[in-house]
Amino acid sequence: MKSTQYSEKVLDHFRNPRNVGVLEGDDVAVGRVGNPTCGDIMEVYIRVKDDRIADAKFRTFGCGSAIATSSMTTEMVKGMTLDEALKVTRQDVATELDGLPPIKMHCSNLAADALHEAIKNYRAAQSQEAVSEPEAEASTGECVIGKDEFLQHGVYTSVEDPSDFEDKRVLVIHNGDKSVKAALDLASKTSRVVLMTPETKIQTTRELAKQLESSQIKIIYSSRLREIRGDQEVERALIHDDEEDEDHEIYIDAVVIVD
Amino acid sequence: MADVYLDYHSSKPTDPRVVEAMLPFFSERFGNPSALHRVGDDATQALEDSREQIAKFVNADSDEIVFTAGATESINMALVGYALRNKSKGNHVVISEIEHISIMNLAKSLASMGFEVSRVPVDQYGRVSIEKLERKLRKDTILVSIGYASNEIGTIQPIREIGKLAAEKGIAFHTDAVAAEGLVKLDVRSDNVNLMSLSSNDIYGPKGVGVLYMRKGYRVNPLIIGGGQERGLRSGTEDIPGIVGMSVAAQIMTKEMDEEVRRYLRYRNRFTKFVLNEIPDSHLNGHPTERLASNSHFRFDGIEGESILLSFKDRGIAVSTGSACTSKTLEPSHTLIATGLIHEEAHGSLQLTTGRYSNDEDVNRVIEVMPEIIERLRKLSPIYRKKRVIAK
Repeated sequence: MKSTQYSEKVLDHFRNPRNVGVLEGDDVAVGRVGNPTCGDIMEVYIRVKDDRIADAKFRTFGCGSAIATSSMTTEMVKGMTLDEALKVTRQDVATELDGLPPIKMHCSNLAADALHEAIKNYRAAQSQEAVSEPEAEASTGECVIGKDEFLQHGVYTSVEDPSDFEDKRVLVIHNGDKSVKAALDLASKTSRVVLMTPETKIQTTRELAKQLESSQIKIIYSSRLREIRGDQEVERALIHDDEEDEDHEIYIDAVVIVD
Repeated sequence: MADVYLDYHSSKPTDPRVVEAMLPFFSERFGNPSALHRVGDDATQALEDSREQIAKFVNADSDEIVFTAGATESINMALVGYALRNKSKGNHVVISEIEHISIMNLAKSLASMGFEVSRVPVDQYGRVSIEKLERKLRKDTILVSIGYASNEIGTIQPIREIGKLAAEKGIAFHTDAVAAEGLVKLDVRSDNVNLMSLSSNDIYGPKGVGVLYMRKGYRVNPLIIGGGQERGLRSGTEDIPGIVGMSVAAQIMTKEMDEEVRRYLRYRNRFTKFVLNEIPDSHLNGHPTERLASNSHFRFDGIEGESILLSFKDRGIAVSTGSACTSKTLEPSHTLIATGLIHEEAHGSLQLTTGRYSNDEDVNRVIEVMPEIIERLRKLSPIYRKKRVIAK
């Protein structure tokens, strides 16, 4: 079976997704799930009244089945009690859509998980449990394998002359405002700057935040540099994604780890 | 309205002129070149004439041309056949990070046979640098295999320089020219190529036929053993209709390539100009100029390739994507990753490849529907223009 051989129902929900958007308010909770490797990120919003889901909305980055399952899930759970909604499984969603290609069952069928996450978050908020995000410690680059080996062969601890980086793919490790500034300086000389932070967001000065937002800089969140790899010169960086607890490589020409 | 086909890198129609030239060889001129009677002689004549035409197509001698059942087989012969034959000289092979999947997988097979395979990285446009390649070469390197052009992002490699470097080091150089044939003038002599793999379908010939160009002095071990056809290099009764088809396709291509390439450049310029000017947060993948005329490859921030493909499909337009969701492994395209993209970016790509039967109307249709497709998917996306940056 082809990975894109979808049922008419899947195609209908892809073409005309129901309940697209976001919800706001005290009675709203959101669940986010994602697997960037296979390319799906989903957000499911629920509004709860008297322990029932009064409204549900979603936003999805993903393939046809990812969009269709999100749409179907929000349709299915409207009116359900939270306990009923917690029992909705991926399989239920797939069945309701007249099935999915086997290869899509796992990866692109995460909407039920996002829904469960939203319910959990709603209940946590109701019981006043502060859902504190674990604060990631700043990555200093101290324990990065290969950092010393490649020093001046693609690893830099400062950006003295951004023109040295012309046309290069540069990975900047987020480590305070100085690193954000370095990334912005580099972005004036090369089109490819990736800023990687162990945190879930980047907090910086008002001015730098504004510049960063409108820049072409690509940001990778919740990730750490594990190892720098290459043949005499930097070729790749091994990254650990904390959210997925997975390692993957990105191809680069230089790494900037400001002291 | 007829479907618009913009996926010429994946499959091409056989040119009707080619089909016509093939037809007599199915039922009337059906001989076996190994047979010694007139019917057999007629087939031998057709086979050797075809060989000569293919030789001309790449500026080789006809005894350097071996017919196979497709480019994948040619590539197997070039890599495995050459490596096995030259094992005593060394066991190191170098490929690039953006080879066609058949070579990536073959490299794994070579490794399991005891060969060591290194992969030379590419820059952000997908080009191999000579300097980096040189660094990968060792005393025990016996073979360098780098694709002439990328079948995905269309970037053309500095083939002549790679060939020169390999020659200086006394290392054999194979190039998979499947993506490039018919779009770039192939010349094995001035490009310093020792082994070259070609497919028939990629020049509008029938599928199931390919060629390995093998320079004198660069022999390979045969992989298919049998009756000793093709001077013992590739056994099995020759597919004369297919071989004639490929040779006729090559002759047509020689005559028409220049005009076609000019036409494809016009389409490509229209696509590129439109996408980069009219679609916000869009990017060109691959090299801006050193790329196949037929290839336009873009990515769009915040959306995913399969959704783009399905949306075009709904509007009767056949396109392609490097998205993992359309691959057998659910991994994003290794080529896009090797250019430095992160997973989420590699997923948002769109590949448009034009060919012999494309026209300006096809380009119009794409341009007409593209903005609404991209906009709709972005409205669904939780990550489009959502940088998580906050001021202290």
